[in-house]
Amino acid sequence: MTYVGKPIKRLYDDKFVTGKSTYGDDIQINSLYAGFVRSPYAHARIKSIDVSDALKVPGIVAVFTAKDLQVKEGIGIWTTYEDPKQWKFLPRRPLAEKEVKYVGDPVAIVIGTDKYNVRDAIDKVNVDYEKLPAVIKMEEALEDKVLVHEELKTNVAFDQTFNGGNVDEAFKNADRKIEVEVTNNRLIPNPMEPRGIISRYEGGFLTIWYSTQVPHTARAEFSRVLGIPASRIRVIMPDVGGAFGSKVNILPEDVAVVLSSIKLGRPVRWTATRSEEMISSEARHNTFKGEVAFKTDGTILGIRGELIVDMGAYLTYTSPIQPVIIPLMIPGPYKIQNISVRSRAVYTNTPPITMYRGASRPEATFIIERIMSNVADELGIDDVTIRERNMITNTPYVNPLGLKYDSGDYLGLLREGVKKLEYEKLKAWAKAMREKGRKVGVGMAFYLEMSGFGPWEFGEVRVTETGDVIVTTGGTPHGQGGETGIAQVVADELQIDIDRIKVIWGDTEVVASGMGTYGSRTAAAAASAAKVAATKVLEKMKRFAAKMLKVDVEEVKYSSGEFEANGRKVSWNEVAEFAYKSDEPGVFEQLILPGDVTYPYGVHIAVVEVDDYGIAKVSEYKAYDDIGVVINPALAEGQVHGGATQAVGQAILEEAIINEEGQLAVTYADYLIPTAVEAPKFESYFSEKPHASQYPSGAKGVGEAALIVGPAAIVRALEDATGKRFNHTPVRPEELIE
Amino acid sequence: MLVRPGEKVKIKVKVNGIWYEREVEPRKLLVHFLRDDLGLTGTKIGCDTSTCGACTVLMNGKSVKSCTLLAVQADGAEITTIEGGDGKLHAIQEAFKDNFALQCGYCTPGMIMQSYYLLSENPSPSEEEIREGLHGNICRCTGYQNIVKAVQDASRKLRA
Repeated sequence: MTYVGKPIKRLYDDKFVTGKSTYGDDIQINSLYAGFVRSPYAHARIKSIDVSDALKVPGIVAVFTAKDLQVKEGIGIWTTYEDPKQWKFLPRRPLAEKEVKYVGDPVAIVIGTDKYNVRDAIDKVNVDYEKLPAVIKMEEALEDKVLVHEELKTNVAFDQTFNGGNVDEAFKNADRKIEVEVTNNRLIPNPMEPRGIISRYEGGFLTIWYSTQVPHTARAEFSRVLGIPASRIRVIMPDVGGAFGSKVNILPEDVAVVLSSIKLGRPVRWTATRSEEMISSEARHNTFKGEVAFKTDGTILGIRGELIVDMGAYLTYTSPIQPVIIPLMIPGPYKIQNISVRSRAVYTNTPPITMYRGASRPEATFIIERIMSNVADELGIDDVTIRERNMITNTPYVNPLGLKYDSGDYLGLLREGVKKLEYEKLKAWAKAMREKGRKVGVGMAFYLEMSGFGPWEFGEVRVTETGDVIVTTGGTPHGQGGETGIAQVVADELQIDIDRIKVIWGDTEVVASGMGTYGSRTAAAAASAAKVAATKVLEKMKRFAAKMLKVDVEEVKYSSGEFEANGRKVSWNEVAEFAYKSDEPGVFEQLILPGDVTYPYGVHIAVVEVDDYGIAKVSEYKAYDDIGVVINPALAEGQVHGGATQAVGQAILEEAIINEEGQLAVTYADYLIPTAVEAPKFESYFSEKPHASQYPSGAKGVGEAALIVGPAAIVRALEDATGKRFNHTPVRPEELIE
Repeated sequence: MLVRPGEKVKIKVKVNGIWYEREVEPRKLLVHFLRDDLGLTGTKIGCDTSTCGACTVLMNGKSVKSCTLLAVQADGAEITTIEGGDGKLHAIQEAFKDNFALQCGYCTPGMIMQSYYLLSENPSPSEEEIREGLHGNICRCTGYQNIVKAVQDASRKLRA
C-alpha cells in the first residue's frame, strides 16, 4: 500500500476528540499567574506608577514595572527574512517605560497565586498619565505632525521603491489608463487558543512552554533578548490551538513573564484573554493608490503607485515582511513588464501589526485581481478574457521585480478551472436570478502564491529496535495535519505501515533544529527533509541487511518490508533488531535540507446573495488549485475550506476598527468570525496534472491559498450581485444596501 | 446567604458520574472550577464573552457554556464534560475523526458536546438544523463543512 495522494486519516486525533489534548493553559504545573496593566490611552506619558494598593491584595506576589525588568536587548525582527538595515525602529522592551503608544500597551505585570486575585490587583495599580496627541490613521502619520517615536524623528519606518521595466514608457504607449485605490483593512487572526506562556527557571536553565509556531526561533530570540545562551533555554511547543502566522510573533508580554519567573525564582504563567489576544496579533491594513496603463484589447502595460502599510505602534518580529513582499507579488501570474511601486511602512498609535495567513500575498493578490477586474469593467470585457490576455504562458519565468516563478501552466489551469467549477453556468444562473429580483452574484479570481520559504528545514528518521520509525521534524504542525502528511511520505519511502511511524516536533531539546510551520511550507520543506532522511536510513538498513545476508550491499534489494539477496530474505524487523544488537546501534539519519520558494496557483469562485438589509451570504465557494504533488487530498481540502472561511470573514465581516479611544473590536461579540451559519458550502479540486516543486516531496503547499485569493473572488461576486464597485475589504452591509 | 469577599462556599457537583465536594469563591466560573479545581482540562476557554462555545458542557442533560455559569450555580447538578466517555470513542467522536472535522482541535470538545446535545434533541437534523445548532460554537480552522458532515455521519450511525 502506498500513502501519498490518499486521504489518510489524521494520526493523532484521539487526544483531541477525548479532551486529552494539552494546550499551554492545560499544563498542570505549580506556578504563579501573571496579568497585565494596560494603557487606556493611545499616546501618553507615564508620570508615575503606584503599585502599593495592588500589593495589598491577598495572594499578590509582585508587581513589576519597566524599571524592574531589564533586558539585554529589545525584541528584534525576523532576520531570516527581514533586513534590519532597511528599517527605522526601536527594539521593543517588555513594558512601556516613559510613554505608552497604543491603547493596550502593557505598563506593568501583576503576579499572584490565583488568576482572580491577579485581576483584582490589576485594577488597583494606579498609573498617572499625561495624555499626548495621537496619530491613528496611517495617511496622517505620513505627515509626521505627531510622532509615535520622537527618537526616530519620523513615522516612516521603511521607504523603498520597487522598479521593473520602464513604467514611464508603458504609460506613454498606453491606449488608456485608470486610477485605482485598493485597501485591505485591519484584521485579527484569532486562533481559537489564545496565546500563552509558562516559564520556569532553575539551576541556570530556562524551560518555556509556549504557544508558538517557531520554538527554535523563539529560543534564539529569547536568548538574544535575555542574554542567556540558547543552550540553556528549552522551548516546548505543547498542542497549539491554531496560529495562522500570528504565533511566530514574540510578544513583550512573553518576555515580561520569562523575566518575572527568573526574578522570582518561581514558575510564572500567562494565558491571554480573548481581548488581549485581539490586540496582540493584528494583520493587514494597507492601501495601494496608483494607476494602470493598458491597451484597448485589455493588455496591461504598466502599473505605478504608492503602497502604504500600517505597522501599528511598534515593529514586531513579523511585520517587516509585508512592505517588501507585497510589491514583489503585485505582478502575480500576469506578464506585466513595467511596474513602479513606492512602498512605505508607517507607525501609528495603534496595536502592532504581525502576520496572518498569506502575509503580503493576500494583499498583492487583492491589488492585482482588483486591477484586472477594474480594467475589464472599463473595457467591457469579462473576467476570464482579461486574465487570459495577460497570463504568463511559459515557466520558469522571471517577473519584472526579479522573482523567479518555478513551474506551472497558469493559462491551462484557468481554462480548466473555469470549466470544472462551472463558472459560466453559474454566471448565467445569477443573471437570471437577478432578473427575478434576487441580488445574487458570482465572482472569480486567480492567484499565484509564493510559498515554501526556505532557507532550510530539519528532518530526522530513526528506526527503533522493533522496526518502528520515529520521525523528528523541524516543521511545527498546529492543526494543519502536516504530521500525517510527513508520515505518509516517510511510509512510502520506507514501504512500511504508516501506523509504525510516530512524528515528533516542537521541543528544542528533542528536535536538533528547525524553522517551523508557516508560509505553507511544511508539505514542501519539512516533508522533504524527512523524505531525504528516510532514503538515507533505508540505505543504512540495507547495509545491515547485507551483513545479515553476508553479501555486498549492492546486491541487496528492498521491497515492502523485506530485504532480499540471492533468493534469501530478511525482514525489516529482523534487520532493525540485528542493527541494535550490532556494535553500531541506533539506526538514524538527520539532515538539514536547503530549499527555496515555490509557486502554487489556482482559480477560485464565490457565489453570494445580498438580502434587503445589505447582509451578504457567501453560499458557495469553489476552488481549483495546482499545489504541486498532493500528499493528502483531504488535508489539503481542509486547508482550502478553512482559508476560504477566513476569506468570507475578511470580505464581509471582520475588521479591527480603531479610533483615538482605542480598538472598538476586542471580543467575538464585536469582531465577527464566520460561524457554521455564515460559512459557505465548498467544492475543492486539485489539478490532475500538477506541476511539482523542486522539493523532493514535489509539494508546493496549500495552507494559505484560499485566504490569498478568496477575498478578491468574494468581492467580485458582491459587485456582480449589486452592480456596485468595491476596492476594499471588508464590504459592509451599509455599502451593499441600496 | 451572605458571603464576604475572600470567603468560600461549599458546593457538591456530580461531574462525569463522580460527586465532588469543594469550597469555591462565589465568583468562580464553572469552567475554572472544572479546569483548575478538578483538573478536567478537556473543556477549553476561547473567549471572555460566552460567544465561542469552546467551554460547552452538559448540565443536567442540557448544553451550557461553562464560562456563563458560576460554579455555585452548578451546586447539586450533574455535569458531563468531553472526558465523560466510557473509555470507548462515542460515535460522534469517531465521526469527527473519520470526516476530518478537526484541525487544531481547540474548539473540538465544545463542538462535540454541542453536537451530542443537538443529536439528543433532534436525532436526524437537516444540514441547516445542524448549522443552526452549532451557531454558538466557533471554529477558526475547518470552515465547518466537515463538522457538519461528521454530525450527519454520527446521526446516521446512532440511528442505525
